[in-house]
Amino acid sequence: MPWEELKRYFDILELNPSASLRDVQNAYWRLKKLYAEESVALVPLADEFPEKMRKKVLRQVEDAYARLQAALKSELPKSISIFPAEPSAEKAPEEKPIEPTTFSGPALREVRERLGIRLDDISKLIKLRVELLKNIEEEKFDALPEAGYLKGQLKSLAGCLLLNPDKVAEDYLKRYQERKSK
Amino acid sequence: MQEEQKKKGGAKEGEIWAFGGGKGGTGKTFIASCVGTSLAKRGSQTVLVDMDIGGANLHSFMGLNRPQKSLTNFFEVGIPLSDLAVRTEVENLTLITGDIHSLTSDTIKFTQTLKLFRQLMKLNAQNVVIDLGAGSHLNTLDTFLVADKMIVVLVPEMIAVENMYHFVKNTLFRKVKKTLKDYGFREIAQHVWDRRQSYGIKNLKELMDYLKESFPYLGTILDQELAGFKISIVMNMVRTDQDIILGASVKSVLMKYLGIPIQFAGIIEHNDAVWKSVREQKPFMLNYLSSSCAKSIEVLVDNLMQGTEVAITGGF
Repeated sequence: MPWEELKRYFDILELNPSASLRDVQNAYWRLKKLYAEESVALVPLADEFPEKMRKKVLRQVEDAYARLQAALKSELPKSISIFPAEPSAEKAPEEKPIEPTTFSGPALREVRERLGIRLDDISKLIKLRVELLKNIEEEKFDALPEAGYLKGQLKSLAGCLLLNPDKVAEDYLKRYQERKSK
Repeated sequence: MQEEQKKKGGAKEGEIWAFGGGKGGTGKTFIASCVGTSLAKRGSQTVLVDMDIGGANLHSFMGLNRPQKSLTNFFEVGIPLSDLAVRTEVENLTLITGDIHSLTSDTIKFTQTLKLFRQLMKLNAQNVVIDLGAGSHLNTLDTFLVADKMIVVLVPEMIAVENMYHFVKNTLFRKVKKTLKDYGFREIAQHVWDRRQSYGIKNLKELMDYLKESFPYLGTILDQELAGFKISIVMNMVRTDQDIILGASVKSVLMKYLGIPIQFAGIIEHNDAVWKSVREQKPFMLNYLSSSCAKSIEVLVDNLMQGTEVAITGGF
């Protein structure tokens, strides 16, 4: 992705290009929440910030996040600080890819740890208990909710880890079902 | 005050920092007094100027009685500023009070305000910290626009947010109109704005977009003149993480809505020490040096100097 384009996405998320992966995620969740509905910061502007404009901003935020996510997977080293400070900045040495073939509990934990995100932060972001997140990572299938609920939770978790939500849910639920049916 | 006076690093020579923000009671005066104290303690020759016309009380925050002479004497009789500035308990910090008996906002002309700033610069001040009154009076906006740093203070309440939007919007509109006037297009912005419905324009950003599109020449001028236009916001009386998030939200909305850069420069904790300090008639930054509130003032000053921002982590 050209630098100018990358910079534009960071601008939309109101971040410096030196922002860490966690900053990107935090900004995304925060802005999404802000523009998804009427909020204290928006209400006073009323007609001057019409619904149409709000939805446009929301789309831009979604788009910027998705693009940065894609850029992360295809082009950039999978380290905590994902983007070079300057276009000419050296790329960090290649690390082994963090995307495992199957998203098991331990694989999800590995991705999370490599991204430098604490369970606590994820818990705050997606409003799931730390205990539940731990059980997912440790594959304590008996302690996990029904597949219907779990699917949504896994998707949220995958979003935080910049992973494909459908793939994560599919992989994990497969293991979950296999174990349950034993 | 002027670009050419800017020097490398730290507080630049003769920088004007103005505190405004629409709503009264958000703590502008308190924060201005603390920021002035902090700058002075860092070794910068600083003048606090109370321009809260009619409601001047900056002296109280510095633990002083109402000074005998005020800006009235400057504006009406032409007494030199050096005679007006009174010492404070803080080294390097003097105060000029705005207690303007016979003057109303309307009687001070902008040229007088400019004259005031020119004289302030001659006082050898490295920093001039101005506390503006509440409201969006034209005089207040003009003074705000002269400053190198335009800082608005708000509290986590809907009305404060609303007044602040109004203030920032008016400041920007004033700037746009002045710029166009300087280039001989005096009435155009107002003309289009007054007929905004027929132009399908809902807000200031759309007005600017319209002007830029219709008159590319104006677009270039506006881009140039607004290049340095940046507002810094301070969220005062913060109690919870949600209050901090609100600050970030306000920043976001202003940027998306007006298309101008906004710095979320600081959060000041709600703290009982503040009213105690005022009651004790002592400068807060001397009296409660180790309070979390004083520390957050220091962070604010650092951020204002370096252009850095409040870090937003979880909490939402």
